[in-house]
Amino acid sequence: MWLLAALARMRPAAESQAEDIACLQRLAGGDDSAAAGLYDRHARPVYSLILRIVGEESEAEDVLQEVFAQAFRQTARYDPSRGPVAAWLLMMARSRSIDRVRARRARPDARTPDAYRVIDETPAAMPDAASAMLNEEQVRLVRDALGELPLLQRVAIELAYYEGLSHAEIANRLEQPLGTVKTRIRLGLLKLRDALAEARP
Amino acid sequence: MSAHDELKALAAGYVLGSLDSEDQRAFETHLAGCAECAAEVASLRPVMAALASAVPQVTPRAEVRRRIVNDHSSHAGAGVKTSPDIVAVASWLAMAAAIVLAIGVGAYAVRLQRQVANLQARFSEAEATTAVLAAPDLARIDLQGQPAAPDARARALWSRSRGLVFTAANLPPAPAGKSYQVWVVTAQAPVSAGLLMPDAMGGGTQYYMTPADIAPPVAVAVTLEPAGGVPAPTGDKYLVGMP
Repeated sequence: MWLLAALARMRPAAESQAEDIACLQRLAGGDDSAAAGLYDRHARPVYSLILRIVGEESEAEDVLQEVFAQAFRQTARYDPSRGPVAAWLLMMARSRSIDRVRARRARPDARTPDAYRVIDETPAAMPDAASAMLNEEQVRLVRDALGELPLLQRVAIELAYYEGLSHAEIANRLEQPLGTVKTRIRLGLLKLRDALAEARP
Repeated sequence: MSAHDELKALAAGYVLGSLDSEDQRAFETHLAGCAECAAEVASLRPVMAALASAVPQVTPRAEVRRRIVNDHSSHAGAGVKTSPDIVAVASWLAMAAAIVLAIGVGAYAVRLQRQVANLQARFSEAEATTAVLAAPDLARIDLQGQPAAPDARARALWSRSRGLVFTAANLPPAPAGKSYQVWVVTAQAPVSAGLLMPDAMGGGTQYYMTPADIAPPVAVAVTLEPAGGVPAPTGDKYLVGMP
């Protein structure tokens, strides 16, 4: 099965997007057999992101199930103008995963009095559907670029993206001034954007 | 920095969803009327997609696919109209379906049995782990990564009466044909605790029984050995720790 999913990932983005739209339409029309197609094309990247964020297999499996259940039920909530289906699924996966991690962090045994304030002030995850589908080469370039960032920039971006921490929480965690954290996140993200721009056809 | 530049600098945090509430409000208000900042936000969106994909790729277990896809398909049943000339075919299909269903139910029962056995095994392992953690003679040994895997870390919690709980992180995947093996090293000889199967993140927690008459350990170590393990360590050390 992983082979099928991997092959699907390598197919041209436009073709995969057209198949995804067809699947969503069939699901909306009550044809539940379309669920398998959608799952096989996207389960691997979606699961990988969830696992990276929640860090634990059985919890990641639960979140994966929630994400697909939501996608199957709420096909009408997909808006093609906001990005491809792949990005929609990844966006749901990220926001649900971060909710889990936040809930875990907010459990009484895991929080200090100060953490109450920080958690309450954290803004909700922003919808961030990508404007374009990325190919393998672009993903590789960004991964390399991420690895080459100065340590503080990389860690700050990872804490923001994969752990859903706010600037204030990151400053706390890294014991750095808030202004420094904001600047590092901005510089790092701009570098990743430039790396990505070079890879664009 | 001008007021505009200061706000524009928040675009990165906005796209990441990491702005604190005050900055968030300020930037949203500004964004509504600033084409330059809207363009900045749009240019950063693809980086989010890249971060989503720039994680180690892991395939979910086949069991999960069954759960997700089949659960969904089982509430199928949108009304499909049948015309008389396909009714005969349909009745044959119904019979075939009944046979397939019977086989399916049989297979399902077998699968349930396997799941129950699997859960029982996991439960008794969890019980054993808890017993170790609550042991009155608990000893903790932290292990450090060796040159073969400098980033690897592990902790061994050992109780002579109740066994060993071993938690590792950042181990590289074992090459094909090789397994990681955990050793409790006593003054006499290293005793194998068992194999260590790191998950996709190079970590995991495992419980091992150790012989009740084992001498006090002078070290705990992890080596890379031929698949299946060996009676005495032969391969490179990946993790070593002393009490």
